[in-house]
Amino acid sequence: MNFLSPYAFWLAVTLPIVVVFYLLKRRRKVQVVASSMLWRKFLAETQASAPFQKLKHHWLLIFQLLILALAILAMARPYFSGNVSEGGLLVVIMDTSASMQSTDVPPTRMDAAIKEAGNLIDTLSDTDQMMILAAGRQTRVLQSATSEKNKLQRALKSIEASDTSTYLLDAFKLARTLVEGQKLAEIHLFSDGAASDLNKFEPTDLNINYHPIGTRSDNVGIVSLDVRPNPDDETTRAIFAGVVNYSTNRADLIVELQWNDQTIEARPLELEPGSTDSQVFIAPQSENGIFSIKLNSDDDLAVDNQASAVSLLPKPARILLVTRGNRFLEKALNSISNIELAAVDQLTDASPDVDLVVLDKITPLAWPAVNTLAMHVTHTNWIESANTVESPVIVDWKAAHPLLRFVQLDDVQIAETLEVKTPNWAMSVVESTRTPLILAGEKEGQRMVWTGFDTLQSTWPLRISFPIFIANAVEWLNPMTSQASMVNVRTGDAMIATLEETDPNPVMLLPDGRKTSVITNPESRQVIFADTLRQGIYRLQNGSSEVVFASNLADASESDNGPREELNLGGYSQVTRTGQKRANLEIWRWLVLAALIVLMLEWWYYHKRTA
Amino acid sequence: MAGPLIQNQLLRRLERLELLARHRVRSSLKGERRSKARGQSVEFADHRNYAPGDDLRYLDWNLFGRLDKLFLKLYEEERELPLSIFLDASESMTFGTPVKFDFARQVAASMGYVALCGFDRVTVDIFPDSHDEKPLRASLRNVRGKKSALTFFRNLQQIQAGGSCLLNESLKRRTLLAKQSGVAIVISDFMDPEGYEEGLKALLGRGFQVHVILVLSREELEPNVYGDLKVVDSESGTVQEVTFGKYRLKAYQKTVNAFLEQFKNFCRKRAIGFNLAPSDTDLDQLLLSDLRKAMLWK
Repeated sequence: MNFLSPYAFWLAVTLPIVVVFYLLKRRRKVQVVASSMLWRKFLAETQASAPFQKLKHHWLLIFQLLILALAILAMARPYFSGNVSEGGLLVVIMDTSASMQSTDVPPTRMDAAIKEAGNLIDTLSDTDQMMILAAGRQTRVLQSATSEKNKLQRALKSIEASDTSTYLLDAFKLARTLVEGQKLAEIHLFSDGAASDLNKFEPTDLNINYHPIGTRSDNVGIVSLDVRPNPDDETTRAIFAGVVNYSTNRADLIVELQWNDQTIEARPLELEPGSTDSQVFIAPQSENGIFSIKLNSDDDLAVDNQASAVSLLPKPARILLVTRGNRFLEKALNSISNIELAAVDQLTDASPDVDLVVLDKITPLAWPAVNTLAMHVTHTNWIESANTVESPVIVDWKAAHPLLRFVQLDDVQIAETLEVKTPNWAMSVVESTRTPLILAGEKEGQRMVWTGFDTLQSTWPLRISFPIFIANAVEWLNPMTSQASMVNVRTGDAMIATLEETDPNPVMLLPDGRKTSVITNPESRQVIFADTLRQGIYRLQNGSSEVVFASNLADASESDNGPREELNLGGYSQVTRTGQKRANLEIWRWLVLAALIVLMLEWWYYHKRTA
Repeated sequence: MAGPLIQNQLLRRLERLELLARHRVRSSLKGERRSKARGQSVEFADHRNYAPGDDLRYLDWNLFGRLDKLFLKLYEEERELPLSIFLDASESMTFGTPVKFDFARQVAASMGYVALCGFDRVTVDIFPDSHDEKPLRASLRNVRGKKSALTFFRNLQQIQAGGSCLLNESLKRRTLLAKQSGVAIVISDFMDPEGYEEGLKALLGRGFQVHVILVLSREELEPNVYGDLKVVDSESGTVQEVTFGKYRLKAYQKTVNAFLEQFKNFCRKRAIGFNLAPSDTDLDQLLLSDLRKAMLWK
């Protein structure tokens, strides 16, 4: 025999208490009587004698102890292993995204979801099993399938809402694999429905129950933040902040710009319901630091009222051009502001003291260990090419890639290109029918852009897109740029830093002031820190140096925290609110508790009446 | 006990009472009660043959004239009716409101007064024995005549209750010591764990006409103390621990009633007069009504 609630045996301490009550000699009033003869006849059953003799024949006590012992045993919920008909499996998905911190359902939506899921646990029958998934940045299995309600309740109470966006897709995919092959399976989602990734999930033959949490939409939030150099003045920075009012009322608030926690500008802002406003601040910057935007707004969701960005002071990009002469390329490079360009006709040093190398049709004697733009270079460490393709036609390019921003390639003709297969480290950003034309990627911390054709054997240098592409490539390959993008991450994304020093024990200072140790890869000196569920500033302290990261929510779908009565899954499916399920709710605990109280009351009343 | 033992008004009413004897008295002393003995009185009883030496004054000359034989006229001898009052003065009699012994003493005094007024001999036998009061108690024996009433009352009033005794043993011993039988009144609470049966049987065996007055206090009949009690017996000192509540009063009264019923049955079977007299009973009611109904006196 096992017990579902063995903690109830702690109540067994009340057994000796009852015995002690019986043994306790009450203070008796001395009464001298003429003769105790009549009393003796009458007192036969109430006569007090030695404590244990009294207990020996005290049926009342024995009955009370029996009642108490049985009640405690019942509360411990004993059970035997046996064969019963198969029960159902309920997979509970708890949304732990930032919008679940909204306070429209006091204290928070997360607490309301936990309470509602707790009610669902109470409705489980003995043969039903349940498992609990927490859908955060990663989906975690908080409790594997069990019918033990205590374990389920414990797992549920351990859930906290994070500062991340909603990632329900992984949770649904995991839930689908879990319920596969189960006859009676249900998926229960407790969420406010602020999820943008569910259109990729087709809920074929799944019994999905949606429990929407939340009552209203009252939120103004920062949905984007970007810090860029001011093209008009190199000593200043332009800070772009996107603010949206998702409330049904007009919002009057103050937007503050802070530099290293010091307010440097504040401006009032009025936002109509549903409207978006882009605020641009211009601020001087003389050193690396943190720009923060704060909204002084008393809305339901506090986490999106602040966003921070680490802004690194720009340095001139030092470029080494290895070429036998390419006027178009040199001109395009020279047109880029804030660079230092040097040109050579051969590269012999594998580690030149530059930020990036541009190889123009020259295979270097030693492959550079810095970021590289390689144009029409064969037989490299990165690319292998044997054949050529004549007159390739550009059929596709990834306009969303930073390399191809504002680049149009439909009017470019190419005479000949190298035929390659896309390697693992790279992605093809421009493609012809037979071979990739431009590859971009990163391998062991080193970025490379490779073009398979000679630009002088094409019409590209004559097109406006060429200098733009070169400028984009320089920016993308500039280590400063990549570093700037890596220090500003979204909550839940990993922070990656390459350490210059090799301190054996780097420490990460978290936004809440706690410190945690970080594991370093000693070969690549690379640190990857993934515990970024909270928004704020993370400081990686590595000996004397410090790398500062900013983690922001900045997610419009989270800021739009109005509860959704229905969810769109995949292309065509919809899941609407699930009503309360009819179930047999057990009340035996309360009855047993009442029995114990009555037992105690009986004893108390007996004492009182005879006192 | 402050004040007179019995009020004058009650005394006057008691004077009109007369003890009733169920049988002819067997006393050897002359009195005013009819007896089986033959002697001198106005009440003719029988004739017997003359024997030499008989007093010639009692010859029936009329009969001699008719029958020419000598017969002697016999008259009923009037003897006294001895009244023995066995009064319990043990420690248990000192309880109650009013105190049981005070009440019992009043009853004894009243009975004694009735007997004295009827020219009967009164003996108040008090138990347990008390060495200090030996002369005082001796003066309460064989009291006769109405003129002795005041001394009788005074002596009775000076008796102090205390000590412990076994009821049966006390009655048996006094029965053996009694020179003459007569009417025996036992006034006690009869609260003896050993019982009362043997003592009363001994009295009956000696030829006494026994009447029992059971004196209990109101507290014994209806206890008014509740809670967790340590009940101490005043005579034996034994301790009983008891939890007593109002809800058990009826059960207790049941026990008392059973005790009384048993006592009454015992008395009824043996022609012993029985009267229950709680110590707060109206004395007039008891003496002039209850005991008259019990045919103790008329």
